[in-house]
Amino acid sequence: MKDQRVTRIEDLPGPKSQGELEEMKMPYEEWCRKVFAPGQEKTKPESLKGIRWLSTTMYIFTPHSVANLAELGAECIKIEMPRMGDPMRHTSPFNECYLYPLHDSRPMTGTGLGFTNANSNEYYITMDYHVDEMKEAFYRLVKLSDGLTECYRPGTFDRWKQSYRYLQELNPRFIYVWGGGFGYGPKVFGGSYDILGQAHAGLASVTGFHEDFGGHCTKHSNWCIDWYSGTQITVAMLAALYWRRKTGLGTMIEFSQVQAATRCLGYAAPLYGRFGIVRQRWGNWDTQLCVHGIILCGKSDYPDEANPQLKYEARYVVVSAFNDPDFKELCAIVGRNDLWDQYKTLQDRVKPEAQMVIYKALEDWAADKTRSEVVKTLTDAGLLAMPVMNDKEVYESEHFRQRGTIRWLDDPVFGDVLIHSGYSCGLMSKTPRRVNWIWRPVGADNVKIYHEMLGYPMSQVEQWYEKNLI
Amino acid sequence: MCDIIWCKDCDTVNYLDPYYFWNWEGKIKCAGCENVYYIYMIQGHMYKGPEKKPGEKEDILPVYADKPNEGYEEILPGTEGKTRPYNCLPRHIYLGEADMVKFSARGRPVRGWRPQPPSTGVAGSCGFTWDIQKLSPEVWEEYQEKVKKGEVGDW
Amino acid sequence: MAQKIREVEINSREDTLPLMGPDVRPYPVTPPPSQEEVAAVYARRKAEEFGKWCEDNLRIDYAAAKPEALQGVRVLSCGQWRMGHKFGAGLLGELGAEVINVEPPEGDPLRKLTPFGREEYMLEDKNGDKCGLDFIHELRNAYSVTLNLETEKGRELYTKLAEHADILIEEYPPGYMDELGIGYRQLSQINPRLVYCWIGEHGQWGPMKDKVSKFGQWMLDPFGQAACSFIHNTGFPEDLLPRGKGGDPTQSGVWFADYVAGEQTAVGALAALYWRDEFSGEGQFIETTAAESLMDILDFDITWYGFNKSIKARTGGWDPNLNQYAWNPCKDGYMMIGGQTDRLWYRIGMCIERELPIFGRLIHEDPLLKEMAARNALQALTKTYTMTTMWLRNINRVEAEEKLMQYEIAAGPLLYIDEVAEFPHFKYRPWVNVLEDEEYGTLMYSESTTAYQMRTPGRVKWLGRPLGKDNAEIFMKYIGLGQSELRELKEQGVV
Repeated sequence: MKDQRVTRIEDLPGPKSQGELEEMKMPYEEWCRKVFAPGQEKTKPESLKGIRWLSTTMYIFTPHSVANLAELGAECIKIEMPRMGDPMRHTSPFNECYLYPLHDSRPMTGTGLGFTNANSNEYYITMDYHVDEMKEAFYRLVKLSDGLTECYRPGTFDRWKQSYRYLQELNPRFIYVWGGGFGYGPKVFGGSYDILGQAHAGLASVTGFHEDFGGHCTKHSNWCIDWYSGTQITVAMLAALYWRRKTGLGTMIEFSQVQAATRCLGYAAPLYGRFGIVRQRWGNWDTQLCVHGIILCGKSDYPDEANPQLKYEARYVVVSAFNDPDFKELCAIVGRNDLWDQYKTLQDRVKPEAQMVIYKALEDWAADKTRSEVVKTLTDAGLLAMPVMNDKEVYESEHFRQRGTIRWLDDPVFGDVLIHSGYSCGLMSKTPRRVNWIWRPVGADNVKIYHEMLGYPMSQVEQWYEKNLI
Repeated sequence: MCDIIWCKDCDTVNYLDPYYFWNWEGKIKCAGCENVYYIYMIQGHMYKGPEKKPGEKEDILPVYADKPNEGYEEILPGTEGKTRPYNCLPRHIYLGEADMVKFSARGRPVRGWRPQPPSTGVAGSCGFTWDIQKLSPEVWEEYQEKVKKGEVGDW
Repeated sequence: MAQKIREVEINSREDTLPLMGPDVRPYPVTPPPSQEEVAAVYARRKAEEFGKWCEDNLRIDYAAAKPEALQGVRVLSCGQWRMGHKFGAGLLGELGAEVINVEPPEGDPLRKLTPFGREEYMLEDKNGDKCGLDFIHELRNAYSVTLNLETEKGRELYTKLAEHADILIEEYPPGYMDELGIGYRQLSQINPRLVYCWIGEHGQWGPMKDKVSKFGQWMLDPFGQAACSFIHNTGFPEDLLPRGKGGDPTQSGVWFADYVAGEQTAVGALAALYWRDEFSGEGQFIETTAAESLMDILDFDITWYGFNKSIKARTGGWDPNLNQYAWNPCKDGYMMIGGQTDRLWYRIGMCIERELPIFGRLIHEDPLLKEMAARNALQALTKTYTMTTMWLRNINRVEAEEKLMQYEIAAGPLLYIDEVAEFPHFKYRPWVNVLEDEEYGTLMYSESTTAYQMRTPGRVKWLGRPLGKDNAEIFMKYIGLGQSELRELKEQGVV
């Protein structure tokens, strides 16, 4: 006798149409392609439709928290200093890559690639908001928006009468975010950069080769911690929006980038707290698994290429065989069954002394092989291995192209640009992210916002412009 | 006693970068002359040396050196027989200044060159178009050529 | 202060461990600055009033007495080995969501991992089961239930739990759940409001999708880090350190790509929840991967290739876009110094020149270093940092910080975790905090990053969870399983 309280899938009414039936029977991969449908993003709705957010931000960390919203469909307005713009516009790797123009008045200056991805889809206005004359326009924006993210030194916006203390009076639904290095406390006025967060928070102390192996603390490439912390602000902002739906009340969020880097240290804090042991760096090996690391092969995959990144660097492989049968197979492949006899359990293998012996044996084996030979041998044997890919290989990867996470964008103002952001933050079946434009020149939407949205007459806009207030 | 070697014979400053040489022992050749110096560095300090080793073979060259008394004349990385090359670069060409790109890697126009003609608008505002044919006709021409030659791809 | 003399006998390293516990050496070792001392800091920049307002409204001490933003959101989290689902669900849990972590009856294998296999670093719960610290630290505010999804009964119970969930975060190999009949395709039929998130390393579909080895071993981070060029771009170049001794592409010291995937999953899930509640009433399917979400935050790297076919190269502790902006070795570790605009550049220089006159001669007077953009050239970086380190090697981090702060330079020491825990600002907030856990005793942990809010701060209520501790409560509450039935299921190996 069936328990009536039990609902089984097969008891439920099945697919309701031929299409649904087919969808249920489709091979899984094919079905995934169909529901995510890369390239069809614009035929689907936006998750955050109707949200308007202000971004009085600079650099990467706080802008990224707003760019996440903009990619999810919120209308975001970036406010920059007149003529200059975000300082990040003036950074470019080795001073080589710029897109022009920065601003109509500066035809010889461009926006460096350092600005890429941090402010996609936004509208760009300029405002010197600490000038009294602009205060009213700023307040108008606040009244018409759901929230704001800022990154000025603590107390600066308060001095300009635009901290949350003031703004919550104008708009009780307003969500106000301050993002910076430290926040209230003894180092409140300390400035911060991505690299400072990495160093200060302990992340650098666990990254890189140990000095016993000749190594030094290593920086995570790029401004990773700025970006990573910015996304965590977005989590807090979305949660605040959820709560506001229930209560109608905004909030203020104070978010420290340095702290976020400590947050991802895993066992470092509890290990120190309980046992006084200080987590150290361990290079390209894993402290808890073995074999699970990166090895150097003898030969490059592209010895004849001109680009040094191909010619010299395409030599590294991730090898992972930490479970017993995987490790046993690996030992057989590299002709070192003695290692299996010696290290039969993960606990044996993962000891530092054992890791040194095992990885040495792997690198010895790989010394006369190319990277792709090593990967092929291991994967053919059913083990897990992959090359350490470079930017060219990532660009050429069929995988990311099919998934739409790397694609060319015909930017309305700047032309043909390759992007790897936005679409790559997670595929969503019904309300996917999208990238509409990479960025816009400084003040490109001044008329749109000041005149069309806030209702200031054109003469007023022109006058502000002449006075260098916008 | 520091991590530069200021060679008095040729008045060249050899820079011993802080990572490679932080703990290092060996012989380094001056970038400005044939002098070879023995150094033994511990924690960034010269524990021994620099000590001239005439006639001996060097282990390494500095990556960069200059001559402050001759208008800061540079001896750039990779100068044959003087400095060692700096290999880990993004391309085999190193510019160090803006690369005036007109076409992307797949051959389509991108605004990577200057000056750019202003696109008129009040208060710096601009629309959502870049009329390349009108604003930069010569690049448009070049692009048409590229299309004809099949140099424009999807990827 | 009188020191109590203790009788201890040390024969092995294990004997030293009890000497380090929180009872013997409570945190913090020295007290943080007082509120009065900090008020004086605010006053220095005429921000007393604002500083006080911040402390009154944002201090973590008041967090527990405030409402939770995600109260009423139920999250089912189901995965093994990796950090993604734990971190993603953990962020939601810190903000007040009810998180239920589903594990197989033998537990998430991450529970068994411990650095270098040292069991003495694992913590015992009240049942005497040992658990690794990574797992304890990352599983936050979550209930633990066990279900054997390989059994039909297990899948049935899982389905019933999913009926009650708003968000489900799953991290199993591609198609595994679908094959079992409990993937999004099937669950969305019975709970159309469900926001279903899958997390993986490369993807559940596509030519390079996640694999398991022929013996069933999963792909874990750094497969995500390696696939997006992050590892290729991180580390010292061979020109600055010999290859094989640190001059190699380097992975993050933590499973960083998993963390990034986890947080982007939380963003996607909350956005989907917003769309469901505001507009459609429908859930959806979300797929986040470690490789792609990390690729999203690699600045302009792939864009750069599209611009002029550059392939980003490693630059160690330096940055090719900015000078100065690096850490370099000093007497007792590494010191980070940043400031690239002329104003800051010369202020750093003045600070150094005061003690190292040759710095002025070789750096300030060099015409090639007078222009900001030109300072980013490689030779300029080499020269600048060689000279800066000549100064740094003679002083400790704390001295360097003090001296640079006098010139208002953004500078900071590179700290190890023990130093992080004792850094005055960090312990004042505190960022590394301790809580008394019911099961594991006093735990030190990295505080929730969303804990500093006026109205709905995040908070950590407990860390880790004994395996299956909440079976009885959760199964009764959401499925109606009584004691005797639960016992039977246990015997059948379902829970």
